[in-house]
Amino acid sequence: MPMTPQLSPVEEQEKLLDEALNIVKSQAFQMKRCLDKAKLMDGLKHASTMLGELRTSMLSPKSYYELYMAITDELRHLELYLLDEFQKGRKVTDLYELVQYAGNIVPRLYLLITVGLVYIKTNPCLKRDLLKDLVEMCRGVQHPLRGLFLRNYLLQCTRNVLPDVAEAENESEGTVRDSIDFVLMNFAEMNKLWVRMQHQGHSRERERREREREELRILVGTNLVRLSQLETVNLDKYRKIVLPGILEQVVSCRDAIAQEYLMECIIQVFPDEFHLQTLNTFLKSCAELNVGVNVKNIIISLIDRLATYSQRADDTSSGIPSDVKLFDVFSDQVAAIIQCRQEMPLEDVVSLQVSLVNLAQKCYPMRVDYVDKVLLTTVHIFQKLNLDRVDYTSPVSRELMRLMKIPVDNYNNLLTVLQLQQYAPLMEYFDYHGRKSLAAYLVANALDNETLIPTQEQVDTVLTMISPLVQDQSDQPTAEEDPEDFAEEQGLLGRFIHLLRSDIPDQQYLILSTARKHFGAGGNKRIKYTLPPIVFQAYQLAFKYKALKDEDEMWEKKCQKIFQFCHQTITALIKAELAELPLRLFLQGAVAVGLMDFENHETVAYEFMSQAFSLYEDEISDSKAQLAAITLIVATFEQMACFGEENHEPLRTQCALAASKLLKKPDQCRGVATCAHLFWSGKSLASRGEEIHDGKRVLECLKKGVRISSQCMDPSVQVQLFVELLNHYIYFYEKGNDQVTVVMLSQLIGRIREELPNLEANEETEQINKHFSNTLEHLRSRLESPESEGLSYEGLVL
Amino acid sequence: MSFFGFGQSAEIDIVLDGTDGRKKADIKTEEGKKERHLLYYDGETVAGKVNVTLKKPGSKLEHQGVKIEFVGQIELYYDRGNQHEFTSLVKELARPGELVQNTSYPFEFSNVEKPFESYTGSNVRLRYFLRVTIVRRLSDIVKEMDIVVHTLSSYPDMNNSIKMEVGIEDCLHIEFEYNKSKYHLKDVIVGKIYFLLVRIKIKHMEIAIIKRETTGSGPNTFTENETIAKYEIMDGAPVRGESIPIRVFLAGYDLTPTMRDINKKFSVRYYLNLVLMDEEDRRYFKQQEITLWRKGEKTRKNLQTSSSTSPQMPHLVQGGDGPHNHHDVNAPHAIEDMKREDEEDKLVGGGDGSARKKQVSEADQGNE
Repeated sequence: MPMTPQLSPVEEQEKLLDEALNIVKSQAFQMKRCLDKAKLMDGLKHASTMLGELRTSMLSPKSYYELYMAITDELRHLELYLLDEFQKGRKVTDLYELVQYAGNIVPRLYLLITVGLVYIKTNPCLKRDLLKDLVEMCRGVQHPLRGLFLRNYLLQCTRNVLPDVAEAENESEGTVRDSIDFVLMNFAEMNKLWVRMQHQGHSRERERREREREELRILVGTNLVRLSQLETVNLDKYRKIVLPGILEQVVSCRDAIAQEYLMECIIQVFPDEFHLQTLNTFLKSCAELNVGVNVKNIIISLIDRLATYSQRADDTSSGIPSDVKLFDVFSDQVAAIIQCRQEMPLEDVVSLQVSLVNLAQKCYPMRVDYVDKVLLTTVHIFQKLNLDRVDYTSPVSRELMRLMKIPVDNYNNLLTVLQLQQYAPLMEYFDYHGRKSLAAYLVANALDNETLIPTQEQVDTVLTMISPLVQDQSDQPTAEEDPEDFAEEQGLLGRFIHLLRSDIPDQQYLILSTARKHFGAGGNKRIKYTLPPIVFQAYQLAFKYKALKDEDEMWEKKCQKIFQFCHQTITALIKAELAELPLRLFLQGAVAVGLMDFENHETVAYEFMSQAFSLYEDEISDSKAQLAAITLIVATFEQMACFGEENHEPLRTQCALAASKLLKKPDQCRGVATCAHLFWSGKSLASRGEEIHDGKRVLECLKKGVRISSQCMDPSVQVQLFVELLNHYIYFYEKGNDQVTVVMLSQLIGRIREELPNLEANEETEQINKHFSNTLEHLRSRLESPESEGLSYEGLVL
Repeated sequence: MSFFGFGQSAEIDIVLDGTDGRKKADIKTEEGKKERHLLYYDGETVAGKVNVTLKKPGSKLEHQGVKIEFVGQIELYYDRGNQHEFTSLVKELARPGELVQNTSYPFEFSNVEKPFESYTGSNVRLRYFLRVTIVRRLSDIVKEMDIVVHTLSSYPDMNNSIKMEVGIEDCLHIEFEYNKSKYHLKDVIVGKIYFLLVRIKIKHMEIAIIKRETTGSGPNTFTENETIAKYEIMDGAPVRGESIPIRVFLAGYDLTPTMRDINKKFSVRYYLNLVLMDEEDRRYFKQQEITLWRKGEKTRKNLQTSSSTSPQMPHLVQGGDGPHNHHDVNAPHAIEDMKREDEEDKLVGGGDGSARKKQVSEADQGNE
């Protein structure tokens, strides 16, 4: 049995196409041979046979297109031959009639068009009538695919002969009006054929049909391109004849695919100047399109084009004519479209608003009111729908987010966004996630652009707007947030606070108070991120007042008030069961106050220090934290020079006491050693700001350190502490403390040398060893090259 | 004609006057071969000379007289024995006597009536010829010469367009229009089809020109249908509201004028058959008789040269009035039924009777 393998549809198509192309090839060859021998009738017969291949119903649009291309290519030979003959004066009488004897309509009409074109080219006064005749006769092909290609051939052939003059010298040569009628008719017929494809065949093949229609749409669109290429079609003709003609067909065809494509086509092929003057007509038609049509895309496309045009036009100074109220027209028409297309999904409605905002932003960048108007419209739409909340995951939310972000991105200025009265109300429609996300976007934008918020009213508005970041919300989900995300978001807020800034100090104070009010309500989780920046801002403000003290008599009072404000703010943090953070803030405050010289600043400084101390005592229990805190307190105190002896002494003593009362011995040792510096480089009013250099007390501290470390059980820790102490000794020796002697150093070195070898060999020991040998290295270098006036290490035993 | 080479014989040659200036026309023979003969019109004089050439110069030819006849005859193929001469004119060229030399006889049939057109059909032939007979005792010497006669008509006074709504109920409903009811042989049929209702999947539509030759009478009537031309006027399926143009050039087809009841022997009638074929190859058709006539060519030429500014002007559609509103033209128009046939063959091969019955019965149902 012979095996005939089943061909796949693709192979089947290829086979059919191949066969057809072969016939075309051989018929074309014979046609050309006949023409070469001047046997026109035989040539026409072969042409007709060749064209007969276009009668097929078996080919897919793609294959049919290939066949069409091959055949029309060959027809060019016939056309050129005839043209040549005609120009030589060898006219064939009745040729136009002759080709009409072809029994089949498809080959007949292709031949008719080919011959008709030759007639037109050689006898222009036939032009008008022939064009009319051809476009009318083509009605005979009602098969969509064959009709579309036939009419495409007509359109291609007549491409260069369409009359393009407003007035004709010879009426029969036609005017642009005839060309418009011709193309519009061809367009209408092609569109009808194209639309008809949708309704033929089985419904389960709908998808394939739609795909095929997509492939063919360019054939229909070419008509519009041709219209746009007519140079004498001016605005008036476009408005009165061309556009209404096209729109009538588009609207009446009631086919979504066609309408969507053709409206887009109109936008793309005709010049923007025309669109600007015919907006109402065009947009009104949009409202009449089928339910299935994505009107949104059409309008967006038009808006985008006009927006781009207006920006391009800025350079050439033509611009949007002042009599064209572009925004108002769009605004009204879009409203009308929404009104009459109740079935339009809300997200599409919103996305239309997005395009309106885009238009306003691009064409009228200065008109904030336009943007506000769109926002208001959106609010109204939501109100009408009794919409309560927009779910973050919904498409509406996505579109609304786009809408809200456009002004942010365009202005790059949060203050301008604040001018939009409807911004905040519209924002309220988002659910918690939406609001928070947009709030973060607003903040990030301000940070990127370093937008300063210079009045307390604006600060109030902004912080209300971004309240999902600032405070807990009633609709907030109960689940804990990801701590990292939360930290990041709050960190953003912390940075943002630095943008709440006015150059006028009084104003700045009001700003900070306002901010404090908002952030203060943020709850324990948030304030540790948000209040510290406020405190630091306040400290800075105090410095500013200090700098301005000659200009502002009230500066001292104001400074006091600021520190009071800081005190309160920090206290709020304490109430949030925070300790180290307020401690640091107090210390920072103390330093700041210390540098001020307003009345009773010493008292304030003392208060801040004592607050730090009491935090240390009451709130910090972890020994490591304690050591860190005391080190910090000592370091702060060491720098401050604002205290008189009556305040300095208790603080000093308190430090030493606190250090010696640390729980662990090594901590005690280190604390005491740190305290030693207080007695050397500490400053007070008594020392008139100079370092006090109390060498004896220094040595006492160091000795106490040595004593404490001797009590350590762990030899390794002990040696480590010795090495550290040795460094303290050396420091003070080199600073010129005469209480510290070379002998002491030698002793300590000796002691370390004694203990060191007993340690277990491990990483820790190695580190200690290294520290020690580095120290010795330092001493050795000092020994070898004593500085001229420096201290001598003479007698040092290494 | 002579037997065994005895006796004298002669060749007859008929030479008509003005041969060079006279047009010739084609006509088919019975066997279907084309022949060209001189063309005459009704009332024209047929004159010329008969040349008798003796085959044996010097020897005489005895005869009972020489005559020439002008004959118009109708020949029915199934009845070969009876040839019906509707015209027979005789002129005597010579009295009985002897011919001793080649002789030439002029003759003239002045203003001969030639009422019918020469025609060769499938069952009948109408021909005109001249016959010269040299009457002899044993066998006559005969020579015949065919001529072709064309009957010319003047432009018909009444020439209405044909316009009709036809259809099959709830299935197909169309209106067609042919611009005339009478066409001359070089004419163009222009018209359009307007689709009012389409519920079938139409594949294509064509116009056929059908020639119906009827011979005989009474029970011996023979009808022969011949499709002269098939002309596709639409490809694919139209929808409601579509209007399809028709333009058929007749000059290229082998047509004769319509002949009605020629000498009570035969008729040749022409019909335009509008055929729609659906995707299941069912045919829907409507036949409409048209009258064909022959137009005097001389007048046509004169008209053309005098009026036409552009001799190249082809025949084009008239003012594009687009899909017309049919209702206001002929408001209450009776809708005639179209015929539907499922088998292709029936269309050509007669079967008219049954189809007509169907039409009537459907019409009756429609009236109930």
